[in-house]
Amino acid sequence: MESLSDTQWDVVISGTGLQQSLFALESALSRSGKNILHVDPNEYYGEAEAVLSLQEVDEWAANHQSAQGDGVFAAAQATRPGGAESLSSSRAYSLALAPQLIHTRSELLSKLVSSKAFRQLEFLAVGSFYILQPKTSESSSTHSLSRIPSTREDVFTNTTISAKAKRGLMKFLKFVLDYDSEPQADVWKPHASDSLASFLATEFKLDADLQAYIITLTLGLDGKISTEAGLVAIHRHLTSMGVFGPGFAAVYPKWGGLSEVAQVGCRAGAVGGAVYMLGVGIKDVQKISAAAETPEEFNVVLTNDMTVKSKAIVRALGKPAGESRRLSRLTAIVNSGLPSIFETVTEGAPVPAVAVVAIPAGTTLGEDGASSEYPIYALVHSSDAGECPTGQCVLYLSSLTSPNAQTHLEKALSSLLTSLSQSSEESPKVLYQLYYEQTGVDAPSVEIDGQTAEFSLLPLDLAFNDSVLDSVKSAWEMINLNATDEERAEYLVFTDREGADAEDEFDD
Amino acid sequence: MAEAPKPSSSVKLVLLGEAAVGKSSLVLRFVNNDFQENKEPTIGAAFLTQKCNLPTRTIKFEIWDTAGQERFASLAPMYYRNAQAALVVYDITKPTSLVKARHWVAELQRQASPGIVIALVGNKLDLAGESQSTSDEGEGEDGGDARKVSTEEAQAYAEEESLLFFETSAKTGHNVTEVFTAIANAIPETSLKSARGSGAAGTANRAGEEQRVNLSGPRDAGAKDGCAC
Repeated sequence: MESLSDTQWDVVISGTGLQQSLFALESALSRSGKNILHVDPNEYYGEAEAVLSLQEVDEWAANHQSAQGDGVFAAAQATRPGGAESLSSSRAYSLALAPQLIHTRSELLSKLVSSKAFRQLEFLAVGSFYILQPKTSESSSTHSLSRIPSTREDVFTNTTISAKAKRGLMKFLKFVLDYDSEPQADVWKPHASDSLASFLATEFKLDADLQAYIITLTLGLDGKISTEAGLVAIHRHLTSMGVFGPGFAAVYPKWGGLSEVAQVGCRAGAVGGAVYMLGVGIKDVQKISAAAETPEEFNVVLTNDMTVKSKAIVRALGKPAGESRRLSRLTAIVNSGLPSIFETVTEGAPVPAVAVVAIPAGTTLGEDGASSEYPIYALVHSSDAGECPTGQCVLYLSSLTSPNAQTHLEKALSSLLTSLSQSSEESPKVLYQLYYEQTGVDAPSVEIDGQTAEFSLLPLDLAFNDSVLDSVKSAWEMINLNATDEERAEYLVFTDREGADAEDEFDD
Repeated sequence: MAEAPKPSSSVKLVLLGEAAVGKSSLVLRFVNNDFQENKEPTIGAAFLTQKCNLPTRTIKFEIWDTAGQERFASLAPMYYRNAQAALVVYDITKPTSLVKARHWVAELQRQASPGIVIALVGNKLDLAGESQSTSDEGEGEDGGDARKVSTEEAQAYAEEESLLFFETSAKTGHNVTEVFTAIANAIPETSLKSARGSGAAGTANRAGEEQRVNLSGPRDAGAKDGCAC
């Protein structure tokens, strides 16, 4: 077998984050016959999108304790408030570092379907969206959960919204479905950069509660989404409803979300002949000076001190360049299945494995009247998501970082758990808790310099941002400058390999 | 639509073992009931599915057939992650392949999901003199017994580690279906989705798979279920 340093590599990919892994999927699908070496300095797949067992999380947290962190993650702190004995074995858990929902209309799902890679994944429904608010009639220490109606049928059957408000909401939902065409566009375009909240108040006479519902559905991180961005986001949500079945607008890949997608990409890469090495990164890259007419070539020094030659390098920036934001994350394992939050409301809907809870900016969280500057979101994952044992749940809370973000997240968690417990029983207990901060970008990008592509950090959104796919495509075009139109047309279209065709006739 | 179909559950199964012990051939025999004499080595891995009908339920195996000659052992962890079953294959004519199989068993016990069902499979039984008379195509052996690993040795090891144990021939098909059926029977009921699922249960024909979102077609595709085998 040829040694690594004797091989003339076409591409060395560094890191198995989602972007590089989708690039690997791309290479496999194109069957370009390119020699690809794919390395990752970590001992696990997925980089910032990874899922980790408890033991791995503990090690990871120990390595990311400092306030500055490694450029992406910082201020990590893992605790076991319920004592070590209340948890199952380390490998019974898979905690996602950066969980994201995927809307059913996302281009990512189309790519996974057209490449047939989706068959290696198990998608679960993301069920209801809720809002957690203080009970108006009682003391501010108790909160209640309301489900957000997000289809017109849902609004119609809702019993808590007044008839007048329903008319406004119905009118708005109808408006959004066709927001980009003539009469509607004339209405919102003059207010495109105004806040969506004020637009909803003036144009649709929606009260503060309904505004909060709509703004939650945008999943905006700062709670101040513009009318234009807001309409795009609500449109995505509404048109995603029912695409793959009734009652849900988004899916979550079982066993850890985007980490699974990244691994599918790497597996496809491996099937396509790429060589994989974990625990090895790139230490240094030297351009081999060549005559102007000849293609670029690099000496790539790996962290195991081996040097390989490659025509192109694809990697991700490990730190922010330019505009970036910081998100505070609180991940908690609780000792209850929280069944009420996963109830289906639409007939024939699959049992969801994920529920979304929003706590709007400015909601009073504690008895001291503290309120969060930014909205707090909680993605609640049942054990069906494959991330914890039956009878437990994993809650992923996040909000933009502010000086008191950690305290706010902890209060939000406890308010949410209290609101979910039946009055007769004890409130669910937190068995494991992990706090950390993550840096990300607003919009993903890729920097291409000659034959080197560097992906930016991923956005911190709660839902997958399709522009990530544009970055992958640009990187792919970089190494395929001479590709024919026919080859380009095959972008992410996969023909079955030997053996895999047995799949269809047995697939249900 | 068939009436009252059996509950159906998916089980992720991974094949591990040294290069050229016949992992892909076992899968090919199980899935297509076919055998290829000089099969090309698997690159990376292949993904196949096959249903196994038990009296009370249907198990749909999602089979990950890995490459035995993987160079840096960086792929296997990805394949056995979340696997509910593993087939660790060795070649009964090659003692070193059993050594490798033991390594895989140890790694699975250390790293894979708790509760994974592991089957130890000694393949190429057709090359052992006692069972078949058609071994004259055997690797350099002229009809004699090429067996180098005794059944007793492997069986004792399997018992010690609580593994299922079979000797098979992908070439003749001997014991191949039996391995998969034994695994299907050994998967604990509690680890199957059909045993869980709460609240709004799906309609009968989606039982057990009521949560999985099907991206490949219209959502009533489940109606076709049950006619596949």
